[in-house]
Amino acid sequence: MSESNEFNDKTASVATGHPFEREIAPIWRLAQTGDEKAYEQALRLIAQRLRAFFRRRMNNTPEDAEDMVQETLLAIHTRRHTYDNAFPVSAWIMAIAKYKLIDFWRKHGRRDNLTDEFDDTDLSQQSIMTAGAATSNLADIQKLLNQLPAKQRQAIELIKLLGLSVSEAAQQTGLSESALKVQVHRGIKQLTALVAQKSP
Amino acid sequence: MKTDEFIAFLAKGSAVEPTPALRNKLFWAFSMAGLLSLALAFTIIGAQPAEALMTPTPWMKFAYTVSLAVAATFLTIRLARPVANRRAPSVCLGLVLLAMLAYGAYYLAITPEEAKGQTLFGQTSLLCPWLVLLVSLPGLFVLQIALRAFGPVQLSQAGFACGLLAGAIGATAYALACPEDSPTFVAVWYTLGIVLTSAVGAISGRWLLRWD
Repeated sequence: MSESNEFNDKTASVATGHPFEREIAPIWRLAQTGDEKAYEQALRLIAQRLRAFFRRRMNNTPEDAEDMVQETLLAIHTRRHTYDNAFPVSAWIMAIAKYKLIDFWRKHGRRDNLTDEFDDTDLSQQSIMTAGAATSNLADIQKLLNQLPAKQRQAIELIKLLGLSVSEAAQQTGLSESALKVQVHRGIKQLTALVAQKSP
Repeated sequence: MKTDEFIAFLAKGSAVEPTPALRNKLFWAFSMAGLLSLALAFTIIGAQPAEALMTPTPWMKFAYTVSLAVAATFLTIRLARPVANRRAPSVCLGLVLLAMLAYGAYYLAITPEEAKGQTLFGQTSLLCPWLVLLVSLPGLFVLQIALRAFGPVQLSQAGFACGLLAGAIGATAYALACPEDSPTFVAVWYTLGIVLTSAVGAISGRWLLRWD
């Protein structure tokens, strides 16, 4: 990503002391302009940083830490339009991560020691899961998608699952591009709410 | 789901930037809070006669409550986001508060001895803070629900700022229904009502501002 290095902006070069900030800031700013590749790269960097953060702080299993990584990524994703350029991205990200960690402790408390890891419990189910590993994630998503309004579901299926570009999807559905984007955004928010309902 | 797949899922077709919707939401909540406070003040207490607007009294009150509302808006927007620098708005708030308290104290000092009680307590001092709180509560609720969309992480502080804003809006509406005319009264009892609302906001914020 050579163009990300050339991207230069005075406002956000505030707290460049921290190596993570130095690494993430240019890519993040590029991502905020709508560059999908840069956004994906930014999320991967953020995921690494979050993994280290949660593993160090959670005495539970790595699976729990990974769940928290994903939950925080989702929070960053759904709130990224509220990011204010005046602050370092890394501080913004870690503030969300801390909030999520506190939220986790509040919800789970100490009782968590009494629950079993899913992977250790039901072996028969596990073999079914591994047999259909490639499709199981999609099946999970599909189950959740079925609970969404038709328009949101269609938009997410076309853009997120089939991988059409927004303009292709717009042609196929006859909706405008911005309408589709809004549907995707709302759909993701709705999905977040659905997942949050299920996991106590 | 594997985190890598999850990231790819999030990133696909993700050039969505609905920022204006968010700002509109806050503006809408702000207006709602104002209307609700006005409606409550007028139905519960009843408006002052329109001639009262020709006297300086309501304008003195507005100057105070509107300045507070502006500073509180500033603070609320800062605390709405995960990373907040709240020094500048806090200083503004402090200055407004200090100015009003100083003016109230000065006014009390120049009042002749026998009228001091009336200047400080008026007729409605026992009711005033509670009415300001009552008039502000619906606005507080609306504002906190709207603020949740920004993803605040310091829930008590953001809730407190919301309470301050709702209280200042409520006090502005209440000023149109309040018969008192002494600056000392406003400095003490209005302020107490706004502080009460802020305290409620700090507590309710822990619940109303929580997001997933």
